[in-house]
Amino acid sequence: MRKVYWIMAMLLAAGITLTGCATTGDLEKVQQREEQINAKADQALQKAEDANAAAAKAAEAAARAEQAARAAEEKAAKAEEEKAAMAEKAAKDEERAKKADVVFEKSMRK
Amino acid sequence: MCRNIFSITVLLLFILYLHGCAVVNHARLQYGQFPIQSEDKIGKNRFSVLKEDDVLGRLAVIRLKKGDTLPDVARHFGLGIKEISAANPDVDVWVPDGGRRIILPLSFTLPDAPRRGIVINLAAMRLFQFRGKGNSVSLTVWTYPVGIGSEERPTPLGETCVRRKIRRPTWHVPASIADDHRKKGDPLPDKVPPGPLNPLGEYALYLDKPGYLIHGTNKPASIGLKATNGCMRLYPENVKKLYENTPVKTPVFIVNQPYLIGRRGGVLYLEVHPALENSNAGELEKTFARLRKIEKRWNREIDWRKVEKAVAEARGIPVPVLELREGSMKEAAELVEIKHPGKFHGEPEVPELNMDAWYVLAAKEREEVDALRTAAMINHQGPPIPARVLPSGGGYRVLAGPFKNVSEAENAARRLKVDLGIDGVLIEPAGNE
Repeated sequence: MRKVYWIMAMLLAAGITLTGCATTGDLEKVQQREEQINAKADQALQKAEDANAAAAKAAEAAARAEQAARAAEEKAAKAEEEKAAMAEKAAKDEERAKKADVVFEKSMRK
Repeated sequence: MCRNIFSITVLLLFILYLHGCAVVNHARLQYGQFPIQSEDKIGKNRFSVLKEDDVLGRLAVIRLKKGDTLPDVARHFGLGIKEISAANPDVDVWVPDGGRRIILPLSFTLPDAPRRGIVINLAAMRLFQFRGKGNSVSLTVWTYPVGIGSEERPTPLGETCVRRKIRRPTWHVPASIADDHRKKGDPLPDKVPPGPLNPLGEYALYLDKPGYLIHGTNKPASIGLKATNGCMRLYPENVKKLYENTPVKTPVFIVNQPYLIGRRGGVLYLEVHPALENSNAGELEKTFARLRKIEKRWNREIDWRKVEKAVAEARGIPVPVLELREGSMKEAAELVEIKHPGKFHGEPEVPELNMDAWYVLAAKEREEVDALRTAAMINHQGPPIPARVLPSGGGYRVLAGPFKNVSEAENAARRLKVDLGIDGVLIEPAGNE
């Protein structure tokens, strides 16, 4: 009977030992996976950060482009206004010159 | 869609092509290279012409300097104001840009009239005097610009002759002119003796039409304008020559031909002047009919694009429109450049500012160009009134003077009011304060 107990105890100890060995391997595997996942997460995070940075840059560029476009439009409108003002001035100058010529022609009479 | 884009592209290219043409012409005038010719080698008034030819002289260009005016350039080269301004339509008569090249229209087409005595084409505002024997192959032609009658009192057309000639004539003021002056508040005496105030100048040729004369002037800047009461005025230097070269009884033909067709050296030319108010509207159709007839006779194609352009622009320049002899056209288009003489003949002089003199403040302008124009117009009155521009407080003042005394200054102020509608303000000598 004592022998039986002893065998059973031995078996239990062997079972526990074996079970313990399996858990370490699993742990290592888990650790490995965790590391991999962490690395991937880091990568993903980096990617996400990169993407965010790129998006921010793009948004900034878009804003700048819009601003530039607005400035160009304003400049074009101003140039157009200036052109119109110049044309108006030229027309007025010409009119004044013509009036002066008429006055001069009259002044040349006897 | 593709077809539309193609059509638009073709249209754009065509527009660019036309624009290019204009730019090239302008660029050529401003930046092109022309052979330089000395001023005394280019004909101004005297030309020898073959009897079968109708076109005299040649076109030239000159580069202006700051302060030049077209009336001064015109007088120096024996041209009228309208001739030079029509040839250079985009140039300010009184304040042209310094450094700019302008055309001197020193080429003239003879009117369709007898080639003897004196022929005056009112549309061209130009007088031609023919000298030479009937049997020779060439004629000597003297030509001068003239001032002619206004719209209200036009110069009469037709044939007449020189009845008498008088040196230093007295001007007997006609009733109509006396009346005009009375209305303006500037009464005239019954007669004006020879001198600077006499509008007939130093020489007068009395025509057989009573009351009409060819004479000089005390207002040289009026040559090439419609500013007389029917008489024909010449520059003082031109009327002297005409007076010396014209015997009494010389026939005078007065015509009005805005469209002139002429030949020279294997090229057919068309010269167009702005039509006068009393011109016959059918003249243009008659000119086109004549051109078509010539085209048919020579069996060569006239450049109708050039014809239409010449008619539309009316620049008073003979335009080559048909090559009658191979290679002649190239020769016809050649221009020469004349060097600026430094000072133009008859250019008004403005004495230096004098603190002891009287002045008249004639105008205050914001723009310099307006002030310069007013000063130039005052300078070109007859007799001349000196005037200059002075910058003042962001604007410009036009100052007439110097005048020796108050009565001279008052007289100038009166003339400015009567002739130019300017209300001048008398300025005492600086020492009087």
